[in-house]
Amino acid sequence: MSETTIIWKKCKKCGKLQHPDHLRCIQCKNTTFNIVKSSEDCKLLTYTILTAPPSEYRDKKSYAIGVVEYSNGLKAIGQIKSQENLKIGMKLRTKVGKLTNNLDGVIIFGIKYEPF
Amino acid sequence: MNKVAIIGVGHTKFGKLEDKNLLDLLCDASLQAIENSNTNDKDFDAVYVSCMLAETLNHMTGIASALVDRIGLIPAAADHIKNGPASGGSAIKNAFYAITSGLCDMVLVAGAEKMTHITTPGSITSAIATITHHNAERIHGISLPSLGGLLTRSYMEKYNVPKEWITSIAVKNHKNGMNNPNAHFQKEITLEKALNSPIIADPLRLYDTCPVSDGGAAMVLCSAEMAKRFCDTPILITGVGQATDTHIVYEREDLTVLKALQICSKQAYNMAKKTPIDIDVAELHDAFTILEVVESEDIGFFKKGEGAKAAFDGITQIGGKIPINPSGGLKARGHPLGATGIAQVIELVWQLQNEAGKRQVQNAQTGITCNFGGFGNNIVSILVERM
Repeated sequence: MSETTIIWKKCKKCGKLQHPDHLRCIQCKNTTFNIVKSSEDCKLLTYTILTAPPSEYRDKKSYAIGVVEYSNGLKAIGQIKSQENLKIGMKLRTKVGKLTNNLDGVIIFGIKYEPF
Repeated sequence: MNKVAIIGVGHTKFGKLEDKNLLDLLCDASLQAIENSNTNDKDFDAVYVSCMLAETLNHMTGIASALVDRIGLIPAAADHIKNGPASGGSAIKNAFYAITSGLCDMVLVAGAEKMTHITTPGSITSAIATITHHNAERIHGISLPSLGGLLTRSYMEKYNVPKEWITSIAVKNHKNGMNNPNAHFQKEITLEKALNSPIIADPLRLYDTCPVSDGGAAMVLCSAEMAKRFCDTPILITGVGQATDTHIVYEREDLTVLKALQICSKQAYNMAKKTPIDIDVAELHDAFTILEVVESEDIGFFKKGEGAKAAFDGITQIGGKIPINPSGGLKARGHPLGATGIAQVIELVWQLQNEAGKRQVQNAQTGITCNFGGFGNNIVSILVERM
């Protein structure tokens, strides 16, 4: 886990923040975007602790998943490093790194939030 | 535009059906529907087959072509319709379009899923999770129940709702399922047992989630003009709606709002010239208890934040002001993915025909469904009325 920010898109026309996968703006259909970086820290909006993982996470008995919001309004989803003392509104730090190996053995990278 | 009528239905038992494969389930339900509609000697113009995971779980493709061959409906046009857990609703919608346009007179819709033979832990969860957004959600190990868990916590926090109000829906739906001979579960549960069942995706517990089921459901539709030739009590489809929402769930303004349902149910209400007040009975997509809560609000029965209390207070039970899921819902009837949307409409047909036995809603004349694809990103709503 090394990276501490994530890259998102902001529509050049209407300003809507969105996941980089979108080729046309989900709000106004515009096709030009600015690249936006999240801040390092975010706040937890909601979370769950999953105890019946899909096969890709067959090596884990459980893990926490959270939806977060950054100070610029950007939202994201990822795993949370701890399953204890989680609370809506708590501050988390963004870390990007290896999460698992998929069923074909390929390394999967993603977001894992760390409580302070 | 031609009016569209349902003139016959077929519904296998839902549950763990060890001696049936996917095609058997499609055939059993279809033949029942054909017999029930008195169309044994008739040709069909089109067949729409709904199934979510035929390729993944059953290693089968071309199931619509296989069905028409096996039950002697060649040369009917045959298509496999896929919209995740809302495939059944989408298949009915396509049949409705075909008949209402005047291009088809007689159409069969059949849906099934064969799931319980897969026993490797996580395999079914993983197969269903392929419907989530790959780069944003799936890579993080998100399952459909985990999205249900995130929604449950958001809803409880936003509206200050205790968990027992939400979980009371499982108790109600199990009670309704007791009187449904096709239901996967036909036994009552207590609220205490449900609240203490094993955690699946906290705060979502085992009894907040629907089971993995095998099953098939089918119906025969034709133009209303022809309907009385085959059936004394045809049921009309008078409203159909379908709408999409963001694939990535957190990109919605408010996680607790199902905008696609608000839009598609409004389409169905407008087409039928009805409002939520006119509905006597509803079949909603309670894959998780929280979904019935949120759907009962976004389909127009309750204000936002009031659905869980309404369920807890008995307003949605049989005999209440607006009975929801008299069939037992996905929770008790079971959830063979591709069959569910069809089974929902079949329950309304039985209710409107006064054929629902011990789970009959008195004087039901108008009903509506919510068939939920993905995690609310592709929803179908169907409104039916007595002819």
